[in-house]
Amino acid sequence: MKKVIDRRRKYWNEPTLGWWERFYLFEVLRGFSITGGVFLRNMKRWITGGKGALTAYYPEETRADYAAHNRGKHVLTQRPDGRPQCIACNLCATVCPARVIEIEAGFDPDDPAHPKYPKRFEIDYSRCIFCGFCVEVCPEDAIRMVRQVPGLPVPDRDHGMWLGREELLTWQPARDPAKPYPPKEGPK
Amino acid sequence: MTAIFINGQPVETGEHTTVLQAALANGFYIPHFCWHPALSIVGNCRVCVVEQEGRGVGIACNMPISDGMRVLTDSDPVRAQRKAMLQFILLNHPVDCGICDKAGECALQDYHYEYNGEPAISGDPKLPSTKFFPLSERILLDNERCILCSRCVRFTREISKSNVLGLEHRGDSMLVRPAEGRTLDDDPYSDNVVDICPVGALLSRSFLYQSRVWYLEPTPSVCPGCARGCTVQLWHRKAEWRVKGLDERHNTRIHRVTPLENPRVNGPWICNKGRDLPELLDRPRATQALQKGETVSLMQAIEAARGLLDQAGKRVALVSSWGSNEELRAFRNSLGDYFTSFVKPDHLPLEGEVVEDDLLIRADKNPNTRAGQDLLGAGVVQIPEDTDLILVWGEGTDFGTLPRGAKILFLGSWLLPENGHADVFIPISIQTERRGHYTNFEGVVSAFEPCQPRRDGVIDAETLFPLLSAPGGSASGGGAA
Repeated sequence: MKKVIDRRRKYWNEPTLGWWERFYLFEVLRGFSITGGVFLRNMKRWITGGKGALTAYYPEETRADYAAHNRGKHVLTQRPDGRPQCIACNLCATVCPARVIEIEAGFDPDDPAHPKYPKRFEIDYSRCIFCGFCVEVCPEDAIRMVRQVPGLPVPDRDHGMWLGREELLTWQPARDPAKPYPPKEGPK
Repeated sequence: MTAIFINGQPVETGEHTTVLQAALANGFYIPHFCWHPALSIVGNCRVCVVEQEGRGVGIACNMPISDGMRVLTDSDPVRAQRKAMLQFILLNHPVDCGICDKAGECALQDYHYEYNGEPAISGDPKLPSTKFFPLSERILLDNERCILCSRCVRFTREISKSNVLGLEHRGDSMLVRPAEGRTLDDDPYSDNVVDICPVGALLSRSFLYQSRVWYLEPTPSVCPGCARGCTVQLWHRKAEWRVKGLDERHNTRIHRVTPLENPRVNGPWICNKGRDLPELLDRPRATQALQKGETVSLMQAIEAARGLLDQAGKRVALVSSWGSNEELRAFRNSLGDYFTSFVKPDHLPLEGEVVEDDLLIRADKNPNTRAGQDLLGAGVVQIPEDTDLILVWGEGTDFGTLPRGAKILFLGSWLLPENGHADVFIPISIQTERRGHYTNFEGVVSAFEPCQPRRDGVIDAETLFPLLSAPGGSASGGGAA
């Protein structure tokens, strides 16, 4: 007699179907109603601007379930007047093990206290390893990493993974008791 | 010949007269700010202290050698005094290394790490001073960073002899300032003070915040600005620090030019024209071969040039005085028999430029006139009216002055209106794209190395000349010498 071997893998949660499930039609309708209910609820919340829609609108919306210690994106801190705190000293670019930071410095003779500033500040996220050395080395607390991921989807593939100065300066700080912002004025 | 003992080891002092010179020449390093081998001794920075056994400490730069003297360069009193001296020098120094262009090659930074390494003892606030005082169109002075070593002052007094800089006031309000009514613009050697400044007080405007120095590396080269042929270093970005997101030109650009010390030619100095070499080399390049203004491929242009060479009866060559020794020799070997050759000046003195002085600058503004004239004769340019073909190699020739009937074969590197007026134009490489040698007016030969990739579409003149005379055309009769 030919031995029939069922080679299908057995799963721990293999469904056991009763006659109601096997009848198929009512269960399918139940499935439709669950999907449709969630869809309609999300739709209503989205239309009315209510909170708690299950879909996060990436990349405009930050996901709520990032880990507390997630450091996914660099930001440049700003002086009270909105200019970057960065002095373009290139220490972050020098220490970076992946060499992804590139800074073009400019000279501002009108501000003798901060004559050097970054004209361009570029980070290549295709090579960044998120080690945080740049944050650690910065003498001005000008670069930090925050609980976000960069908005990388862009129409341009060639340069899409680079984040520039404008993007890095969009950070609108909320509250951080460990690192108050804007930083307190040091002794002159 | 006197023998002294440095750290217990006997040292032959040779022709040296001070302990500092003898120590440096024999491999004992003594830190120094104000002492410079080409300048007089002032002894005002006081960090070169050494201990003369049994006689206490003193400054090595001004300590004359006496036979059998015993000197210690790293004893406890020396270390203590050096440390105190560095604390004193840093009293009003802002320590803004993060935004200082000198950081990475700064003597104060190095000595601080090597010999002091401690935060300031003083709790007093640092005295503010002038930032970015314009000494000239080319140089800014940051008085906060200045440690008053007076090297720049002595340079303008003893080397360039312009006497522009001086020190005014006393104590911690002392400032380096130009003499009344004068600026460093009067000094054609002014940029040397940026190099000799041991800290970042004197800043070159053209290099200001362009790059951190550790991203750059020097390539030895020769300044083509005049017949002196000063050896220089061209600083360009290291390959491992290539930028990918910023402008690609940062990778190949020459960021700055510094002298390459060469006692037989220029000593440790170069003039400001040499510093402006990047501007000269950054001019728009010609990379397209042309035949009567029409674009053709490089090989077509070379074929056409050989055709011109074949047809012509009377040929004259205006040879570039910017060609290297190798190129000039290739020209003589391959084409010397076909042409009556004259070495022409590619560049004449510009308006307002110092034409000649008794330090470095020479009246002939071309690097290799001497080698060309040695090979091809020093005749004055004379083009007979019935010339059939004129080979113009290098810029600086007005085609309007050439005989009307003659065909023109033009070899040039720059995008000039003349290129289209030549019968055949072949783009050739520039100095930073090839290696070679120049012979200066005294006959000293200096080498230069390439530091930029050769542009697509251009050919080295050294490669081109044998191609022009290669067998195949009927002009092959004379052949290479």
